Amino acid sequence: MSALLAATLPHRTLALFVLWLLLSESYNLLHMAVGLAAAFAVALLNTDRLTSAAYRIHWLRLAAYLPWLLWRIFLSGVHLSFLILHPRMPIDPIMIRHRTQLSNKNAVVLLGNSVTLTPGTLTVEANPDEVLVHAMDEYSAQDVKTLRLDRKIANLFKRTEARG
Amino acid sequence: MGLIGAGLMLVGLFFLVVAAIGMVRLPDVFSRSHAVALTDSLGALFLLAGLAVEHGFSPNALRILVVLALLYILNPVISHATVRAALRSGMKPWRRENG
Amino acid sequence: MTGFHLFVLDILAVMIIIYLYRVVRGPTVYDRVLGLNGISTKAIILLVVIGTVYGRVDMFVDISTGYALLNLVGALAIIKYLEQRGTA
Repeated sequence: MSALLAATLPHRTLALFVLWLLLSESYNLLHMAVGLAAAFAVALLNTDRLTSAAYRIHWLRLAAYLPWLLWRIFLSGVHLSFLILHPRMPIDPIMIRHRTQLSNKNAVVLLGNSVTLTPGTLTVEANPDEVLVHAMDEYSAQDVKTLRLDRKIANLFKRTEARG
Repeated sequence: MGLIGAGLMLVGLFFLVVAAIGMVRLPDVFSRSHAVALTDSLGALFLLAGLAVEHGFSPNALRILVVLALLYILNPVISHATVRAALRSGMKPWRRENG
Repeated sequence: MTGFHLFVLDILAVMIIIYLYRVVRGPTVYDRVLGLNGISTKAIILLVVIGTVYGRVDMFVDISTGYALLNLVGALAIIKYLEQRGTA
């Protein structure tokens, strides 16, 4: 376990503990102690699962990114509903082999998740440098093709110096 | 508050119905998974957000939002895995020309 | 509001039946897995709405969270198996 991963341990424990408090709603000493222990154990066990700790996420920019993503999801959802309800169903599915500029795994995971979550586009294969996307038609594919999503997500990550 | 919540839930129901129609109409597993994505993202979003609005600002509303966040993280994983398995087993996506 | 919630529950039940058509008809096994995934999403929403009707959202949210996690593990297990076996 590297020093950088150890440094994030308190944050992750705290986040899990807040989730525990929200779900359990019993605030006596015993339950809270058990919850704290469980949160710490889960955070510790999952330390090795974290990849590429050299990149940290900008939480503020993520908070700005999520509403934009929701808006895109809404627009493409309306478009997909139009395609499905149209009597002749004018769909024209295409496969896009998309070379991504993102250099770290967490960013590619976020990209794949965003693409799949958006109705009309779907990640079929995801590799560190290439993503295969199935799109319902040209309109749905535009965010991936114009690299707009790529740039948005690259903005969310910052490179940290390898501390100690 | 109740009326806004009901309106949001009706919008969610509309997207659920459209997704179910797509599930029946669309030609292959790749395009059908788009319909499932429509349910997962928009249907669940509007329905659960409507319920949360009805509860007002309370722990229960926050809990409902936790369920929503969980759906948003987990469901893309499942549809991605399904479609990847379908592609790797040699299925070809439906195209306009040969349909 | 309870009447409206019951209406929402009815629609959700009808949606589950439509997805069940896809699970039964299927042409491929992946359609069936996809239909099951859609059904479980509906079931999660259904549980939260039932919790609202009974006024016990705190309890039903726990159940639906557990359902979502179990569904993830189950679906991934089935898909991994199919992918390794490699048949449509």
